[in-house]
Amino acid sequence: MDTNDQYGGRRRIPGRARLVMAACAAALTLTAGLATPLDPAPRQAAAADDGKKVLTVAVAQSVDSLSPFLAVRLLSTSIHRLTYEYLTNYDPEDNRVIPGLATEWKSSPDKLTWTYTIRSDSRWSDGEQATAEDAAWTFNTMMTDEGAATANGSFVANFEKVTAPSPTELVIRLKKPQATMTALDVPIVPRHVWEKVGDYSKFNNDKEFPVVGNGPFVLTGYKADSYVRLKANKDFWRGAPKFDELVFRYYKDQDAAVSALRKGEVSFVAGSPSLTPAQAASLRTEKNIRVNDAPGRRFYALATNPGARAKNGERMGDGHPSLLDRRVRHALFMAVDRKTIIDKVFQGHAVEGAGYIPPRFSQYFWKPSAEQELAYDPAGAARLLDRAGYRKNGDGERVGEDGKPLTYRILCHATDPNDKAIGQYLQEWWGDLGIGVTLDCLDNVTDPWLAGEYDLAFDGWSVNPDPDFVLSIHTCAALPATPKDTGATDNFICDEKYDELYARQLAEYDPEKRAGIVKQLQSRLYDLGYMNVMAYPNAVEAYRTDQIESITTMPAKAGNIYGQDGYWSWWSAVPADSGDTGGGPSSTGVVAGIVGGAVVLAGLGAFVAMRRRATAEDRE
Amino acid sequence: MTTENTGVRKTAGDDTAAAGKPPSVRPRALAWQRRRASAARFWRTYRTHRAGVFGLAVLTLFALPALAAPLLTGSDAADVTDAPGAPLESPSAEFPFGTDRFGRNLLALVIRGARVSLLVGLLAAVLSVAIGTLIGVTAGHFRGWYATVMMRITDWFLVMPTLVLAIALATVMSRSLLTVVVAIGVTTWPTTARLVRAQTLAVETRPYIERARALGGGHWHVMTRHVLPNVMPLVLAQTTLIISSAILAEATLAFLGLGDPTVVSWGGLLQDAREAGAVSAGHWGYLVPPGIAIAVVALAFTLCGRTVESVLNPRLGVSR
Repeated sequence: MDTNDQYGGRRRIPGRARLVMAACAAALTLTAGLATPLDPAPRQAAAADDGKKVLTVAVAQSVDSLSPFLAVRLLSTSIHRLTYEYLTNYDPEDNRVIPGLATEWKSSPDKLTWTYTIRSDSRWSDGEQATAEDAAWTFNTMMTDEGAATANGSFVANFEKVTAPSPTELVIRLKKPQATMTALDVPIVPRHVWEKVGDYSKFNNDKEFPVVGNGPFVLTGYKADSYVRLKANKDFWRGAPKFDELVFRYYKDQDAAVSALRKGEVSFVAGSPSLTPAQAASLRTEKNIRVNDAPGRRFYALATNPGARAKNGERMGDGHPSLLDRRVRHALFMAVDRKTIIDKVFQGHAVEGAGYIPPRFSQYFWKPSAEQELAYDPAGAARLLDRAGYRKNGDGERVGEDGKPLTYRILCHATDPNDKAIGQYLQEWWGDLGIGVTLDCLDNVTDPWLAGEYDLAFDGWSVNPDPDFVLSIHTCAALPATPKDTGATDNFICDEKYDELYARQLAEYDPEKRAGIVKQLQSRLYDLGYMNVMAYPNAVEAYRTDQIESITTMPAKAGNIYGQDGYWSWWSAVPADSGDTGGGPSSTGVVAGIVGGAVVLAGLGAFVAMRRRATAEDRE
Repeated sequence: MTTENTGVRKTAGDDTAAAGKPPSVRPRALAWQRRRASAARFWRTYRTHRAGVFGLAVLTLFALPALAAPLLTGSDAADVTDAPGAPLESPSAEFPFGTDRFGRNLLALVIRGARVSLLVGLLAAVLSVAIGTLIGVTAGHFRGWYATVMMRITDWFLVMPTLVLAIALATVMSRSLLTVVVAIGVTTWPTTARLVRAQTLAVETRPYIERARALGGGHWHVMTRHVLPNVMPLVLAQTTLIISSAILAEATLAFLGLGDPTVVSWGGLLQDAREAGAVSAGHWGYLVPPGIAIAVVALAFTLCGRTVESVLNPRLGVSR
């Protein structure tokens, strides 16, 4: 009967295919286990064939846009730092504001008019002079064109008028005093090139190369998720970079990037995301590789949904109502053992969380006093919950007045291992309190986040030397206009007292006084309990010392290299003499791995062969 | 037809016969006797297949510790808060495979992971085969437009890339074990449906089906009493074979980060290892044991499935 033949005939192939698959799976697992590369001689990424010194950096983050008006991601904004000058820059030593395109600046007695002197020794890469006119045009475009205000619109929101009375003089008239006038992180673009662009909300600046700029590097090539190539600008006013070319090459898998570093295919592995503790530990033992483990500029927090709403007062999302009770928020955070998170999850590559701004920015760093601090105290947390009316029932679950057990959803990034790891701790810590936890690990957290459809969420921001931006995202003004809009808000916090303090710090020109207000702001934020900072993760990155002789960290003492506020690292990097390639990584592991893999493969092969012999009789 | 001498169908026939007679113990006892005899015959034939016995032994080796996991590893082996070791310790006497990123004992986790991997594999295979059998038997029995529609749907699922569909399903649904079971179950059934339909068509042409119809047997009676027992051997073999691909699929989904991150499974361990950077750091104890376990268990199920198949389907094997 042919149906049976069909049945009998088609079983054979999948069966064998499965055997092969199983063998392959075993072999793959084994080779994957071989950490050390099979190519013992490191290829030189630093020296290309024609003698050009190339610095290759392994990165993972995609470019959102190469237009300075649109880009917000770390990699894209870093590229803009390298290709365009900003009015001011930050000193790599101590984050002090230093001249950039502007050589000096002053404000009028009424604090509303700022006058900048623009340097006359900065030229665009097409030979034209960079002038105050370019800066005025850049700001005016952002003020008049909504598309151009996408990325940095907040800087110019308070501008009344920007003019350029002469090529070296830029005048900005403000509506209200603004403390961030010496920290305008806006790339200045050449007017004669950008005037011709039609729609700023669509133009991504990635079609015609080289892109005209006046930074230490010129953008010469880009392929999405493949590479970004930059050429040194030999005429840069501060001095030419030592490397001839800078290439950001994509490695979507961190382990692959680490292997490439070991082989010498890349000179630097970006700490974004940070190298894992295991990777850092194994790289530390390698010759010719230096691991840079520096205090980061990020905070890592647990954000609580404060009952999301829009500016028009409409409620949105479905945050848990019990979280509106401050005692509950405090109790939750008191049950989080921050020390364990540092020791176990970050394995020491982080600093325990306190205030909102990382300790690296010592001027603004704030720490709760002993009586204000929500220290780790599970028993106290339980008492607080009892007082708030959430008592344990017979099954050990906390129930509210409606009789429903407390269960919170935590929004976590599926791509972030730390989120998932800490989520598991929270599940157990809060489980002991009698609170249920569901981890919602998603690839796309943006949609539920913007819709307010979460109870708690893992949150984190990179903080700039001027903290205005990270503070502004918790003001009522940052809320979306209607539930359908997208606001600049981080997690829908809106507190009158906070807003008042925020406005005061923005108008305060005295750095000391302003820092004092910023500390009060952080204290207020801490007491509210909507943003619970758990840790300040370190920037853990690594580079080959046989390719990069020296490189500037920022701040100079214990600072990061990738993603600085400035172009210091890549501009200052000195190529190493490529004579000393050094010995490759130890080859014993490789040999042992190959032998082990071969033995298993041979075993499987023999087994398959035997099996085939056995079935040969069966088949007939 | 050869399948008639597998005890199963005879038994079904006996039961039907017994229903009409006055109550008597004898036919039932006879049925049990036959079942025992056929089971013994099955085992005798099975035993002659070396690969099948090997597969069974391997499965026992994995299933026993998995079943006894709470006794062997303690009920808190998967707890992160009171993990016994430091994170990512190297293998030692206390931790034969070392520890994971939380400091948990990896040997205990691999044993625990077996529970999830085997459970998901079994449930997904059962779901897949159940859907496939339902569609296969009804499509083979009813023919006409119903069969045409059902088979086109089957074809559609057959040409869809299984993994992509499963990933899409697992992404849109919330992350839990059930999601993974459903994602695998609803994407792997078409082959079973095709096989079962073919067998149903073959069975339904036999004269005794016509006799049953003539005696007034309805659709339900014919499908459950005559067709189903006859396709059962095929279904059984198919289940065993699908388990291995279901285990691989579960591991793949978990490795791609689509599983429940709070549940310990083999694929999940591989994913954890990758995220912790264990590959480049050379922590083989984190990677190799779950990897080998996945490969070996999938292999063992395949070996068993092929043996069951060749024992039950005399066209393939040596059963006489």
